[in-house]
This record gives sequence, C-alpha cells and structure tokens, in this order.
Amino acid sequence: MATRGLASETRRLLRDPALLGAVAVLWLLLAFFVLYPVAELLVRAFSDEGRFTLEPLLGSLADSHHRAAFVNSLILAGTVGVLGTLLGFLFAMTATRAGLGRRWLTALDAATLLPLVSPPFTISIAIVFSFGPKGFISHDLLGLDDISAYGFWSTALAETLTYFPIAYLTLRPIIAAIDSNLEEMAFSLGGSRWRIFRTVTVPLAVPGFANAFLLLFAASLADFATPLILAGNSFSVLPTQAYLQITGMFDFKGGAVLSLMLLVPAAAVYLLQRYWVGRRVYVTVTGKVGQRSRSRAIAPWAAVLLAVATALVAVAILYFYALLLYASVVVAFGANNSFTWQHYHVIFTEGLPAIRDTLIIALIGMPLGGLYGVLVGYLIARRRFPGRQAMEIVSMINYALPGTIVGIAYLIAFNDPPVALTGGALIIVACYVFRYSPTGIRATVALLQQIDRSLEEASASLGAGSGQTFRRVTLPLIAPAFFAGLGVVFIRSMTAISATIFLVSLSWTLITVRILENMTELALGPAAAFSVFVIVVVFAVVSGLSALLLRLRTPMAGAAARSLLGG
Amino acid sequence: MKRRPFSLLAIAIWLAGLASAQAADPVNVYSIWPENYARPMFQEFEKATGIKVNFIRFSSGEALARVIAEKNNPRIDVLFGGPVETFAAGIKEGIFQPYKSPSFDKLPTRFKHADGQWTAIADDPLVFMTNAAFLKGKSLKAPASWDDLLDPAYKNQLQMADARTSGTAVTRIFSVLEVNKRDEEKTFAYLKKLRQNVQLYTKSGGGGTLPVGLGQAGGGIFFIVDALETKAKGYDVVISFPKEGIGSSAEAIALIKGAKNPEGGKKLIDFATSAAMQSKLSEHKVNFVPASPDVKTDPALAEVLKGANIFPIDDEYAGANRKRIVDRWVKEVLGPQ
Repeated sequence: MATRGLASETRRLLRDPALLGAVAVLWLLLAFFVLYPVAELLVRAFSDEGRFTLEPLLGSLADSHHRAAFVNSLILAGTVGVLGTLLGFLFAMTATRAGLGRRWLTALDAATLLPLVSPPFTISIAIVFSFGPKGFISHDLLGLDDISAYGFWSTALAETLTYFPIAYLTLRPIIAAIDSNLEEMAFSLGGSRWRIFRTVTVPLAVPGFANAFLLLFAASLADFATPLILAGNSFSVLPTQAYLQITGMFDFKGGAVLSLMLLVPAAAVYLLQRYWVGRRVYVTVTGKVGQRSRSRAIAPWAAVLLAVATALVAVAILYFYALLLYASVVVAFGANNSFTWQHYHVIFTEGLPAIRDTLIIALIGMPLGGLYGVLVGYLIARRRFPGRQAMEIVSMINYALPGTIVGIAYLIAFNDPPVALTGGALIIVACYVFRYSPTGIRATVALLQQIDRSLEEASASLGAGSGQTFRRVTLPLIAPAFFAGLGVVFIRSMTAISATIFLVSLSWTLITVRILENMTELALGPAAAFSVFVIVVVFAVVSGLSALLLRLRTPMAGAAARSLLGG
Repeated sequence: MKRRPFSLLAIAIWLAGLASAQAADPVNVYSIWPENYARPMFQEFEKATGIKVNFIRFSSGEALARVIAEKNNPRIDVLFGGPVETFAAGIKEGIFQPYKSPSFDKLPTRFKHADGQWTAIADDPLVFMTNAAFLKGKSLKAPASWDDLLDPAYKNQLQMADARTSGTAVTRIFSVLEVNKRDEEKTFAYLKKLRQNVQLYTKSGGGGTLPVGLGQAGGGIFFIVDALETKAKGYDVVISFPKEGIGSSAEAIALIKGAKNPEGGKKLIDFATSAAMQSKLSEHKVNFVPASPDVKTDPALAEVLKGANIFPIDDEYAGANRKRIVDRWVKEVLGPQ
C-alpha cells in the first residue's frame, strides 16, 4: 500500500513539471543552506584527524557542569513557559473579556509588541539598572541594599517579560473564539461565574495553553543573550555554555557537542507541538477579534481586577523602555544626566554604515523569506510528493538549532571556494531566510488547513496546471501568510544577533553587532540610541504590514497579522 | 508595487559595488581593541602610508574562532590587539605567519614570540578600581592589598571577569599565583575566599566597569585602560594597586598565514610595533603602556602608575599551565559553593 502510494506520488510528480521544478529547487536550496552546513558541523564534532569518535560527546555528558547546565536549561524553560503562559492568559482575558475601549486595547497591544521587536539585551540591561544593589527600584525606591540582580529569578523574569507576548498572541484569538454564547448559556442556566470559568472557559483554552507553553519553552531554550547578562555565576544554561566553550575556551568541538545536546529537548518540543497539540487546536479563526462588549460571564470586580493587573505589567514594560529612551538622550547614564542629542548624531554618522547594511539586508531578505515560506508551506500542506515530511523537518532545522551554532556552521561551510560566501551580504540574508522563515511556513500551513481544497480542485479540473492554480487561486488566498513570513524575517533581520555575529564582515555589518560593541566600549548612550532606532523602524514596518493585512480583507488576515509576531 | 523589489535590489548591488571599489589594496584587520582605541591608530597609519585599513572589532574569543574557521581562505591580513594568550592559542592552530618587524630586536623578550609569531605593541597592567561613593559610604580606604578585598564590607560587591572568556581574568589569577610564589594551594585558598565577595564574574574583561561606575558594584579588578576609560566617561571611581604587586599583560599583533595582502599587513605591523604609532597612544587618550622602549609613557598615565608594584606575567609559565589552572578555577572557585 505504502509503496503503491509512493509510486503513484512519484508518477504524479514526474507528470507535473511545475511541481517537479519547485520541489527540485527547494531541495537544492535546503541541501545547500541547511543540510550541508549541519553536516560540516557534525563532521567537526565527531571526527578526530579523520577518524570517527564519540569522545567529545561522552566527555561532555560526563562533565557535571554540563549536566547541570542541561538541567538548568530545562528548569528555566519550564518556568518561563508556565509564567509566560499565565501572563499571556491574563492579558488575553483582559483583552477579550474585560470590555476595554478601543484605545486601551491599542495601548495594550503596543506594550506587548515592544518586547517582541526589541534588540537583544534591552530588558536585561534595564533589569540590572533597576534591581541591582544601587538600582532605581531596589535601592532608590524600596531602600533595599545588598540584593543581587543576577541569578535564576531575574533571568526567568527577563525572559518571561520578553517572550510572554507570544503566549498572548497565541491565546487571545483562541479565547476570543470561544463563543461567549457558551458562557452566556452556562450563566443563564444558573452556573456561578467561577464555575463557568473553571468548567467552560479554561477547558476550551487548554490546547492554547499547551501550544503557548511549548512555544515559550522553545524560545527560552534557545535564548543565549539574556542568561549571558543575567544568569550570574551559579546558574549556567546550555546555549550560553556552548557560546563560552567556543569563544572563551577556544573549544569548538565541545561547543558543537553542547549544542547537539540542546537539540534533543528542542526537537522533542517541536514534535510534541506538531503531532500532539497541533491536532487538538480546532478553533476556527474568524478574524473578528476587535473590540468586544464586556461579557456578562465576568463579574464587574473581576474585570476591574484583570484590567488593573494587566495595566501593572504593561506599566512595568513601558518603564523598562522609558529607561532605554532616557539613556539615549543623556550624556553619560548615571554620571552626567544632562540632555543631549549627541548619541543620535553618532549613530547617524559613524553608525550609518551599519544602519545602511542592516536595512539593505533586511529588505532583500524580506521578499525572499516571504516567498520561500509560502512555497514550502504550500507544498507541505497541499501537494503529495515523495519526501514531503522530510522536507518539512529539514526546513525546521536551522530554526531549532541555537544561533551560535548556525552561525559557526555557516562560517565553516561557506568560507572556502567554490562556495566562498563569507564576507558578503548573501550569507547573512541566507542565514535569516532559512532560520526565520519557518514562521511563514507554519502560517501558510495553518491558513491552508482552513481553506477548502475543493477550490483548487475545481481549478485543476478546469484544466489549469499546478503552477497556474497556485498563482491564480492559492496565492491570493495565502497572501496574509506571505506578509506574515516576510514581516518576521524583517523583524529578525533587524534584531537578531546570535548567529549573525559570526557572519558580519569587513564590508557588511549589522546594528545589533554595533550595539554589543558599544556596550563593550561603555558607550551606553549610542547603544540605547541604536536600540530606540531599531524599535521605531520595526514598529513602523510592522504597523504598516498590519494595516495592509487588514485592508486585504481576507477572512484569515487577522490571524496572519497576529502570527506576524507569534513566532 | 511589482517593480519595487527590483529597484531595491539594484540599489543594493550599487551600494555593494561602491563599498568594494573604494581603494586599492587596503589592509583587512580584525581588531580586538575596542573601536574607540583602534580607529585613531588606523587613521594614523593611513595618514602615514596612504594605505586604508578595513576593520571590524570582535572580542578575543570571537576573533580567534573566526580566524580559525577561515583558515583555508583567510579574510584578513592582520589580527590586531588583544592579550598575548589569545595569540598563544592561535599558534597551536597554525593561523599565523611569523614576521619580525624592524622594531623586533629592540623589544624585551616578554614583548615578542621568539619566532616572530606575534609581537607586542603595548602593555596593560591590572588595577583595583572602586566606586568613590561606595568607599565613602562604608568608610573604607581604597584597597591597597589583595587581602583588603576579603573585607566583609565588600560582600557581594565585587565584579571581575570570568576566566573562561577573559584574558583579564587569566592575568588576574596568575597575578595571585605570583604574589603567592606560585603556591597553588595558597592561591586557590585565597581565590575561594575572594569568591565570597564577588557579585558577578563578567564575560568580558571590562564588563564590570560600568556597574562599578554606576555603583551597582563596589569595585573590581580591571585592566588600567578600561579603568581610566571609566574615569574619563565621568564616573567617580578610584584606582589603586596592591602593595604585594599585580600583573600586567602584553597586547599583541600578528600576520595571518595565507593573507591576501601580506605586504600591506607587514607595513601595518611595522607601524604598530614602532615608536611612530605608540607615541600617538597618549595623544588619543588610549591608556595602554607603550611596548616600545623608545616611547615615553603618557605623563598622566605615568602619574597613576607611580609607585605601583607591577610585574609581568611569565608567559612561558602561564602558557604551560593556563588550561589546567583555568579548569581548576572553574571547578573549585566558579561553581556553586
């Protein structure tokens, strides 16, 4: 049966030149930009002067520090997953049930957007300045001395604040789509509000919880910048450890092995999400997630409580970013607080090459990433061809691997002729496209699952080839996913650092790398000014894209506008 | 709408062309010195020779990882600045091309590799740096002995670098070893006691300077160049030296094996190791101590260093024991107590 299916799939593939061409080109790209670098990496990690060896792996597993780092990573990711999901749920409940006015909703969305579009380190640095022994909050406001801003809890707090918007964006449509009528019905049947919340609302949101938890878990697992600054000495995690192993101990093999250890939980989470949770989310996306009248199923005092709690968290976030803005307009943060535009002058003169390079790379990567995501997503969701599942898994590899490792793998794989790409812009663009397009792929798959296949079948039965059907029928339907994928590639091109720090070169550099450099020079002002610039640009582009999506008026546009940021 | 991506691409290609067509035969460099120190030096070189320097700055570990990864097709000609031990690690990977500049013979032995794999361009002593307001608040004097840092008043108040990532930290640990006559038991007993007062081991050598400047930490041990930069930024910090002595690490330069522009690279090394460049350090307020015996140390810097007991770290001894000592430090000192 299976072989007959495979044979017929192969026959169909050979009869359809457009499909055959697309599949062949994609496999070539995936082989070149995903499989080949990973293979180079494995060869380095497991060979010793040409012989295969497991010694580095066994050595790492035997090292108690590394085992502790592995366990710590899981604990941190689990904590961030739980806290972030709770916070996301709080925000989602407030947005959908508390009956807030349109303006308040916009403000809420803006506050949750900030952490998603910021360059790395921003919240971490703000936490150090706020909660250190002489921090604004811990010392100046609360009068506490002798407290430490470093360790497990501050790392967990920073990551929760950074990543909870993913949970919010995942949960909000799900809760919004839980028909209030259900709650209303339970209410009119005499159920208490608390009972309705427990027995109707929460159970319906469970798949959303699971999904949000797994997304946050994965994000925390791959984060290396936050622990680098906040984890302190007694709490080490794997991604940071791998980075230090390579850049500090000059031990490339060890670093590669540590990253491979990281790959195990990352892959487990991905598979769980794909095959378990993915099948349980049946909420129909309606796109009607705007303002909602306050539900009767929520007591007025509960609505107020929700709104107040949410506002407190939102204010905390805004405070961190206000601090950043402040640091960008004073001479020397903490020492000389007189006002100056000097740092902005610096970034638009000395920093201009970095700004120019970053924008060029982001603008080239954008359409390519969008197109690639839509094409892969379409093939996976709609076409039958041999190796379809393999293609899906391979397309996720660069996304699941920690950035440091992807960066080094690219550097090794593409340095020597005939494929000498290092030093150019293409290698950075390729890194972004193949690392951050999986969002576009997933958005496309999700959208297509909501669109009836019969539309395309009608086109095919009327004699259109698969290329024509794709262009004329499917493409307009999945335009929102295209823009979502393109938006994510743009955001990451402006804000990511872990992989590309190894790919910047003498002729192509990036803003995020400049921010890191400024911080090592104690030039906090320009670092803050660069961060503010990045946030403003990304905010503008994301708002523009969202407006465009809303004007597309496809039923799915709202969902895609959210998945733009949903990771 | 349809035409836009193409015009963007055209602009991109045009800009890329501009970037690559600028000058004939520039020297390509990875600098480990921060840009604000390296840039004026390269500008001086350009003025003197007409050769342009393309450079990008990386921390020592990142720079070395890149040079090793690029070994088969080097992208740069010269690795500039950074502690000697980074260069020692590079020799093992075979990434350097030995070269002896005209100034080579004049330099003391500790400022050069015997075969010319690297040459020192500057010296960088460690210092104690403390926050003035912190000292005043605790009625302390600036620490003048290694044992002063063990005072409970410093509990959870010190920041210094992590030996896994920072040359500053390795120099610090070898300083303690020298002070204790290379008695490792005594040294580690001290380091473990010091650990009680350490709030954070930072990834980079200068990582703790800003927290100390801002008062988030009371003090720490840093290279003088970073400490003086903190002061210059306007933060109220005090620099002091332990009476038992403290170590100093040389900053080096090396030619890359397989460099595309070896002649330009050699010229840059000639310039950097000569009095010509090092006499400009003081003018640009880069507070390294010149390696060349022909250059006078900046008067203000010399004033800070006056009376300080500074000794070089024996790089043969350090090179032979570095990995073992750092591993022991990670195991016994860094790990949870």
